Amino acid sequence: MFSRLSTRLTVLYAALFGAVLLVVSVAVFGAISGAAQRQVRAELAATGTVFDRVWSLRSERLREGASLLSRDFGFREAAATGDAPTIESALENLRNRMDVDHAFMVDAAGQIVGASFSDVDQARLAKAFETADDPSGVFRLAGEPYQLVSAPILSPELIGWVVFAERLDEAEMQALEKMAAIPLSAVVLNRAAGGAWTNAHAPAELNSDAVRQMVERSLKARPPTPQDLRLKSGRTVALVKPLPSLEPGGGAVLLLRYPLARALAPYEPLLLIVGLLGVVGLAVVSWGSWALARSLTRPISELDEAAHRLQRGEDAHVEVKGEDEIGRLASSFNTMAAEIRERERKITHQAMHDDDTGLPNRHALERLVAGLTDFPQGQVYVCALGLDRFHHMRHALGHKLSAQAVRMVGNRLGGLAPTCGVARIASDMLGFVLIADGEAAALDHVAGLLLSLEQPVRVQGEPIDVALSIGLAPLQGDEVAASIERASIAVDQARAARTKTAVFDAEAYGDPAANLSLMSNLLTGILQDQLVLWHQPKFDMRKNAVTGTEALVRWNHPVRGMIFPDVFITMAEETGHIRALTEWVVRRAIADQRALAEAGYDLSVAVNISGRVLGEPDFIDFARDALKDAVGRICFEITETAVIENPAVALGMLEAFADMGVSISIDDYGSGLSSLAYLKQIRGDELKLDRSIVADVTGSQRDALIVRSTIDLAHSLGLKVVAEGIETDACFSVLAGMGCDMAQGYLIARPQPIAQLLEFLAESREQTRAQRRKRRA
Amino acid sequence: MRRTLAPLALAVALAAAPAVAGDVSVDVRDQAGKPVRDAVVMIRPAGGVAPGTPMKVNWPMVMAQQNTQFTPYVLIVPLGSTVSFPNKDKVRHHVYSFSAPKKFELKLYGRDETRSITFDKPGAVSLGCNIHDSMIAFIFVSDTPFAAKSNPQGVAVVQDAPAGGATLLVWHPDLKARAPIARPLAVAGAAQRATVTVELRPALTR
Repeated sequence: MFSRLSTRLTVLYAALFGAVLLVVSVAVFGAISGAAQRQVRAELAATGTVFDRVWSLRSERLREGASLLSRDFGFREAAATGDAPTIESALENLRNRMDVDHAFMVDAAGQIVGASFSDVDQARLAKAFETADDPSGVFRLAGEPYQLVSAPILSPELIGWVVFAERLDEAEMQALEKMAAIPLSAVVLNRAAGGAWTNAHAPAELNSDAVRQMVERSLKARPPTPQDLRLKSGRTVALVKPLPSLEPGGGAVLLLRYPLARALAPYEPLLLIVGLLGVVGLAVVSWGSWALARSLTRPISELDEAAHRLQRGEDAHVEVKGEDEIGRLASSFNTMAAEIRERERKITHQAMHDDDTGLPNRHALERLVAGLTDFPQGQVYVCALGLDRFHHMRHALGHKLSAQAVRMVGNRLGGLAPTCGVARIASDMLGFVLIADGEAAALDHVAGLLLSLEQPVRVQGEPIDVALSIGLAPLQGDEVAASIERASIAVDQARAARTKTAVFDAEAYGDPAANLSLMSNLLTGILQDQLVLWHQPKFDMRKNAVTGTEALVRWNHPVRGMIFPDVFITMAEETGHIRALTEWVVRRAIADQRALAEAGYDLSVAVNISGRVLGEPDFIDFARDALKDAVGRICFEITETAVIENPAVALGMLEAFADMGVSISIDDYGSGLSSLAYLKQIRGDELKLDRSIVADVTGSQRDALIVRSTIDLAHSLGLKVVAEGIETDACFSVLAGMGCDMAQGYLIARPQPIAQLLEFLAESREQTRAQRRKRRA
Repeated sequence: MRRTLAPLALAVALAAAPAVAGDVSVDVRDQAGKPVRDAVVMIRPAGGVAPGTPMKVNWPMVMAQQNTQFTPYVLIVPLGSTVSFPNKDKVRHHVYSFSAPKKFELKLYGRDETRSITFDKPGAVSLGCNIHDSMIAFIFVSDTPFAAKSNPQGVAVVQDAPAGGATLLVWHPDLKARAPIARPLAVAGAAQRATVTVELRPALTR
């Protein structure tokens, strides 16, 4: 609910104090209110008792006065004889003496004599006087309540009553009110016809159900006690005193009441002080708890902020105050933060530096280069500096010292070009970056660097030669990592080209990512006839004529143009597409052979069969089926290594091919690990010498010797020998001299489409004829 | 002629003399059915009463004061009677009456003194003592000879009431109506009983 601890504490304490205060206030108010009520009740009860006494004293006084007259012999005579003037004068005399409101006589029949009232219900009066000797009580005369006190007139039997009537008016009530210790209000209520208790002069608010119910209740209770009464003007404590009534079936009560508000008025200052103290106390407690909470939570907030700073990698030091738990926590936090920073620094250093040399690493270089992407395209060059034959060096010096050599080269480079950001990007390679206006300028620059860098370095006092190659790659867009990679490749390209420096050649490298998509296109390519079959003629040295061709597949890619097999064959082998490819080539070769035959050239056509295909025995079935259409000799060129993988299956398949009449040619002999053991086992017809051993046959006596002996070996095994890669006449002559059977190479013809082949064949046939004619001539 | 007149006079005399008469016992009850004592029961014959017909009184015409009380409480006297008021107490009394039939005052008189008053108008006369408020008594002056006072059992026996139509009158000091209540009565001429219910005021306490 409250996210701040200090707010929570403050609110909690304030709420607790407030609750206690409320309870206290309620208790105080209750006690005061109760005491006030009790006091008022006691006072009312006391006033009630006083009133009883006053009433009875007054009744007694009046009764005595009335009695005085009623017993007077003369008056009795006047009354008995109906001497009205005498009666009236006697009554008037007594009324003045006693100071009462009215004095009159009621005769035995209940008729008033000696006074006249405008509105007196004679029947009621008669009824009231009928049953009592000396009737007294409240009676309404002319609509107002009167206290009536009577004394019987006996002459000697009862002939009437002397009656004194005292009005129970406001003045009377005020006199009564004055007798009370508290300023209460008194009023006499009569029972009206409808059961309501009213009085013409009573306040209107008394004419209510609450009053009526209270009067009825009090009349039943003996003795009546003060009770709560709710009036429109507020709560009131009231006491109902039943008054003797002369009303037939009616009643009269005295209602004493005292508003509670007035009873509480003396306590108002006290309540005000309690309330005020409460408010002040609440404010003090709120402020105090807020201050306490703040003193507690401020260090915690500071720690919280410091933790956030630590998280963001900013300075997270917290000022330690005090020796308490929080102080110790802050101290621990500082220690922890320092350790974390130190560790982070180490980790960052490690992440950005090479352990062995202490030089920045590839990641550091990447960061540096990434900051240079804003330069115009072609100005930023990522360079890789390769230590040639580093593995030899490492072998000779050991890991540590070779790394030291790398570091020294790096330091030297850093000295030459302080801003180039030297980094070790591989064990034998340093990377850096330079800004140059174009490729030529970049190459010039690194060539200049090389001159200084290729000085021997001293490792443990011993001078060590370093041979270096530098590859460059322009930063392309934001391909930072890729640029570094290209620069590394460019090092290899420089080594291969022996140029010491090279700019990355994408064409020479190919594009591994593109190759992958190429493969997915290969099947489509086969189906859509994107593949074409080129032929390289095989020249029979003895017949001095082209007797066959080696079919070589090309891929006329709709986007990438002509693609050579060394790009996709290996991948086709790896992806399993080689089988489909081979089948296509076999069928195409057979078709081409027929086309050649139709043009009048009976040529043997050789197809390269991959080792992968030789592992699939059902290829035999395909071959058997396909070869039915062959019009000439078909030759399968295989390498020895193809047999090595799974000799039993491969050799069996070769047997089967041989049985079908397919010639078997052992390809690339002398390029890899040529095994005489397999050579012996393969039922071949032809051995093809690899261009690598043929190339130097004219220059190297040793090579010549190897070639000659191989030719002899092949011949003695019953194999014809085909020399590949014949490019010069000299080479051709030497091989011819060595007894080589056939030649293949640029000297004779490059691989070409069938249309060109046909032209070539036509041409060479013409030449042969011409030579023959010349020879004959 | 004289001879003829004589039997006629006899006949008249005979006719004037009650040919048939009887005692009438009247049982006086109050509204609660309780017997009412000291009630005055009178029978007034419809044909009137021959002048000179005496009231059969078997009580003295005396209203004594004894033990600061009048004795008796109710005294029935024929019209024109003289009643004596002997004082038998040691104290003196001041007997008075404001009643209309006989207004009089016997000022303080002492022991063994007697005063007499003649009551020459019919009706109830209330007697009081001006000294002693508690003393009260009534003298009922009857204009008919057929009158009697009820005994403690509430029974008044009117003797020799002449047969024929009559009015029965009942009076009592506490009678609510104050005037005697009257009802018709056929007197049989023989002993007969009648019951009268009267409404009384609550007795005054003093």
